[in-house]
Amino acid sequence: MKRLLRLTHPIHLVSGVTLWGIWFVAIYAGLSVACSVAPPDPERDMLTGINIGVGLATLFTVLLLLWLAWASVVAGRRAEPRRERFFAYVSAGIFLFSAGGTLFVGYPIVFLPPCL
Amino acid sequence: MSDDKDVTLTPEVRRLHEGMADVWANPRGLAALTVVSHTSVGLRFMVTGAIFFLIGGLLAMLIRTQLAFPGNDFMSHEIYNQVFTMHGTVMMFLFAIPILEGLAIYLIPKMIGARDLVCPRLSAFGYFCYLFGGIILVSSLLFEMAPSSGWFMYTPLSSGDYSPGRGSDFWLLGITFVEISALSAGVELVVSILRTRTEGMALHKMPLFAWYILAMALMIVVGFPPLILGSILLELERAAGMPFFDVAGGGDPVLWAHLFWLFGHPEVYIIFLPGAGIVSTLIPVFARRPIVGYGWVVAAIVIMGFVSFGLWVHHMFTLGIPQLALAFFSAASMLVAIPTGIQIFVWLATLWLGRPVMSLPMLWVAGFLVIFVLGGLTGVMLALVPFNWQVHDTHFVVAHMHYVLVGGMLFPLIAGLYYWLPLISGRMPSEQLGRWSFWLLFLGFNTTFLVMHWTGLLGMRRRVYTYDSAMGWDIYNLISSVGGFTMSAGVALLILDVALHFRFGRRAPQNPWNAGGLEWAMPKPPTPYNFVSLPRLETRHPLWEVPELPRTITEGRHGLNTIDHGRRETWGSDPLTGKPREVVHLPTNSWWPFLAALTLAVVCISLLIKIYLLAAVATLVAAVLLLRWSWENGAHPKAAPDATVAPGQPPLHSRTLNGPGVWCMSVSHLANGSFYLSLLFGWFYLWTVAPEWQMPASSPLSLPLLAGAGLVLTLGAAWLARLVRRLQRGSDAGLGGGMYLTAGLGALQAMLLGVAIWQAPLAPSETAHDATLLVALIYVLIHALLGAVLCLLQGLRVGYGYVGAEAPMEPVVVLRLWSYNLVVYWSLFAAIWLLPVLLGGTS
Amino acid sequence: MSILDTAGSAARQQFWVWWAMLAVAVAVSLGVYALWFYTFCRREPASRTPREERRIMLRWVLGGGVALPVVSIVALLVFAAPTGRGMLPFPEGEAERIEVIGHQWWWEVRYPGEGEEREVVTANRLVMPAGEPVDFHLTSDDVIHAFWIPRLGGKRDMVPGRDSIVRLEADSPGVFGAQCAEYCGAQHTHMLLHVEALERDAFDAWLAERRSSPELQPGFDQAREAFGEHCAACHTVAGFPDELVVDDLEHDIRGPDLSDVGSRPSLGAGVLPMEEGAIAYWLQHHQTLKPGNRMPPHHHIDTETLHEIGAWLETLEP
Repeated sequence: MKRLLRLTHPIHLVSGVTLWGIWFVAIYAGLSVACSVAPPDPERDMLTGINIGVGLATLFTVLLLLWLAWASVVAGRRAEPRRERFFAYVSAGIFLFSAGGTLFVGYPIVFLPPCL
Repeated sequence: MSDDKDVTLTPEVRRLHEGMADVWANPRGLAALTVVSHTSVGLRFMVTGAIFFLIGGLLAMLIRTQLAFPGNDFMSHEIYNQVFTMHGTVMMFLFAIPILEGLAIYLIPKMIGARDLVCPRLSAFGYFCYLFGGIILVSSLLFEMAPSSGWFMYTPLSSGDYSPGRGSDFWLLGITFVEISALSAGVELVVSILRTRTEGMALHKMPLFAWYILAMALMIVVGFPPLILGSILLELERAAGMPFFDVAGGGDPVLWAHLFWLFGHPEVYIIFLPGAGIVSTLIPVFARRPIVGYGWVVAAIVIMGFVSFGLWVHHMFTLGIPQLALAFFSAASMLVAIPTGIQIFVWLATLWLGRPVMSLPMLWVAGFLVIFVLGGLTGVMLALVPFNWQVHDTHFVVAHMHYVLVGGMLFPLIAGLYYWLPLISGRMPSEQLGRWSFWLLFLGFNTTFLVMHWTGLLGMRRRVYTYDSAMGWDIYNLISSVGGFTMSAGVALLILDVALHFRFGRRAPQNPWNAGGLEWAMPKPPTPYNFVSLPRLETRHPLWEVPELPRTITEGRHGLNTIDHGRRETWGSDPLTGKPREVVHLPTNSWWPFLAALTLAVVCISLLIKIYLLAAVATLVAAVLLLRWSWENGAHPKAAPDATVAPGQPPLHSRTLNGPGVWCMSVSHLANGSFYLSLLFGWFYLWTVAPEWQMPASSPLSLPLLAGAGLVLTLGAAWLARLVRRLQRGSDAGLGGGMYLTAGLGALQAMLLGVAIWQAPLAPSETAHDATLLVALIYVLIHALLGAVLCLLQGLRVGYGYVGAEAPMEPVVVLRLWSYNLVVYWSLFAAIWLLPVLLGGTS
Repeated sequence: MSILDTAGSAARQQFWVWWAMLAVAVAVSLGVYALWFYTFCRREPASRTPREERRIMLRWVLGGGVALPVVSIVALLVFAAPTGRGMLPFPEGEAERIEVIGHQWWWEVRYPGEGEEREVVTANRLVMPAGEPVDFHLTSDDVIHAFWIPRLGGKRDMVPGRDSIVRLEADSPGVFGAQCAEYCGAQHTHMLLHVEALERDAFDAWLAERRSSPELQPGFDQAREAFGEHCAACHTVAGFPDELVVDDLEHDIRGPDLSDVGSRPSLGAGVLPMEEGAIAYWLQHHQTLKPGNRMPPHHHIDTETLHEIGAWLETLEP
């Protein structure tokens, strides 16, 4: 089990995009629930608690993924068998993509109101 | 075996070949129905898929004939609506997915150095499900009862009120049946790729094609269950009046759209990934150098596989979902451009750094590139919400998706067909006919669909059976129709070429394209056992680095080169390093898969004609057949008469605790879990979104019964876990009795659940709330029963000596099911009892 | 019907978005094709070391595979995606409200009244004010339809049980086609809507004519009686006396409101142009003109009666 936590394990090929996926489901579900429970006044446009909440979740996820990308590169530098280095570097790329993807997908909160 | 001349077979090796041929023999005549070899099953899949392609193509030609002229009355609106519905359905479900699965089933073991897939009987079963389901579905056209609600079957149009005929039932039942085959292929491809690679083929050394198929198979496993759930719910609504999608009863038609596209979007990538896999296989061969950026491609595959599950709403941009939510999906859809771009530029860089040669397969790859790039670019356009609102449901989208699907799937498939044809038949196709066919298909395709973008921009909607001349669409439609018929001429030439080559093709040399892949090291046409000895590989391009491999394999110089044990064997290897961990003894030819699929076909047909008693009986028979099939497993004398292995070899997989069977169970639970999560999604979705949803003030379910059933389940799972822990320590003391005890606990759980369902005042035909509860409870009830029956069988097997300290694997497999049941049961309890009670109802 | 023949701000934005995207797409695809072609034609260069190869590969993949798509999609998200804001019903209360309800296979259009005002109901024809935003409140009575005026802007589905709002604006008075864009069954093809944008004054006058209390002109007694017997269970005519209505139907499918049918430009949701005698012709041949439509065939009613009903209905104008 401990083996799985090391960033050189191939399981981390999918952990970046999995985190992205969890974040994605969370903001989509959260948005839907928030809009059906407590829709904000449309006049507030995008300056609502929902947008801010989604924005904070997005920033947190981006930072986490960036840190993981960096940690993977470090792990890959240290790793000895070629195989481990390969997986660490590929995972680092996917973490980086996931970080960018999170930021990109979260961006529309700056120009759209949440529930219309 | 074209290069046999160089091979010197000693009498001993000759006996080895004969012994292999004997053990792996495929019977002929009626008994051919028992064949399980992946080579035969893969070919069957592909040939059947090709036949469905011709049927789907014929339907397309009917569509183009009707639309060639304005106000055409070639077909009535009723027939036309059936034709376009069936065109989409046949192409997606009966052609694209099965033929690619067939290709993967055929090729994967040959590429990774295995003798067969891990569950050969499951492949055969999957094939028959596909065949029977496909025949049932297509037969609806003959009865003029074909579904006519579009291939996406939106409710309420497809529900009882607006489609009273049998058409929707044909679709729902037939497709669900076909999907069993997709799922079974998905499960065993995943496990085969991870666990049966030849010695030394570490994960990062496996061919890229295997990465693509691994991703495709995992996507099938996760992506198909939502549609299966949706189909079951819709069929329940149609047959039993449960209002899941009916607003008045507290349902919501948009739920169907979600479930359908949760499957439907990943489906596009399920189709594209193998196509890209073919391209990634062919390009290095014809660039005459290894692919550059292997890691980049792996990353792109992983990203595509995941991100494609975050796009489904982009088919629903006009459904009135809040714009911000749409924007998330829009942005996610645009993200796909990045992995696609990476792959395209990796291919270009490989060609750039290589010394590319043009050849027939490469011509088709070029066609792929031209078409697919355009389709990808219009895809990015469609991801933009406001633009999508304009062109959604117009012929622009029709053009776009044909560019993606024909470009991304059909052209690579034909490239692959030409590339691997010499392997299948041992003969080379005709260069001349192949080129003619390419140009007809390529030009015909672009004539049809390039113009169609414009037709869509001029405002022509999808799925209209005629149009008015005053609209100014006449000439564009005529051009599209002419292009369509040109395409069919290309397909006809292709068929002619393939048919002729079996008779007149020049004999293929051992490695006709000078490729590096392991599949070219085998005899042509392939023997049922693929490789007489399984080589140790340290490279991604074995034939480039070890050109004598075909000879040494045939001479039996590598691993698993004995046959006197009479078993079908292949390596069970470590998923990471490829180090052999077990010898997998594979099951042999059998009638069970055919009989089980046939019985399921009876279930399907009796549900269609609404003879529910027969359906119930047939379901029972099918369950018995499947269990009887599972009986001849593991240490059963029919499966492994003799468990001794050669000295120095790892043990048989049934004698270990972590064999491929355990992996199959885990991957199946991925599918099952996806089904369950879709059900939970449905529950929460209806709860929060459905306009008329009613949550009763107090739960209709009895807490003591539900909690009691859960406690019994927990107890049983704990007991089973104890038994398995003991087995891990090498002791089978009390195993049989413990299994019976667990079976009893499972039965008790099922009984308590049954009573809970029985005495709950549910009105499933009145409200979506009650209907969803009922379906969820029946889901856990079925799992409780399955858990009980499997433990009962385990108890018996312990008695017969098939399971015990020597052969400890099966209890581990059964424990996975119980652990799954445990998680599902308690999370469901929280979702349907605890949360509503905590949050209060809105009666 | 063309998206490119724009007559409103929402459609015009997408017109420019389309041509911009097309230009980029053409450039990108031609570039990729050219590179592909060139790799096959070029003369073989000197052999490279693995290090050089790696550098070249990275240049290709990072430049073409990463930078190119990233720049394109960021530009798209930042500059093009916000164009959708214009169709939000926002700020509230600034726009004329028109309700459109989809039926298999016709359109019901409603202009709700304020306070004591009478609601105006019509069918298969939509009149809207030009030069100002209009909020369309969309829903469906049966299956999912979609409301789409291509020259004004994007489409929106009409989902049973939901009310979705889309804001559109016509630049100036004119006539536009609209059509159902979501496949909705047998006669999805023939579900067209005639849209007219009028100057504000003309629009107000048009609406006022219909808001006033209905008063049926005298005459056509026989036709009215027949209408009451055969048609009135499904079709409403404002001011039609209740005592003449024979309702013996078991279903609750409604037909279009016919209060101002004489003033409409076409029949059967765009199937037959309105001219003298058209209604009677439609009443006899509707199942061949638009096969499968929900109005039952009229074989049991003699032709003369159908002609009388038709002649009467053609007089129905506000």
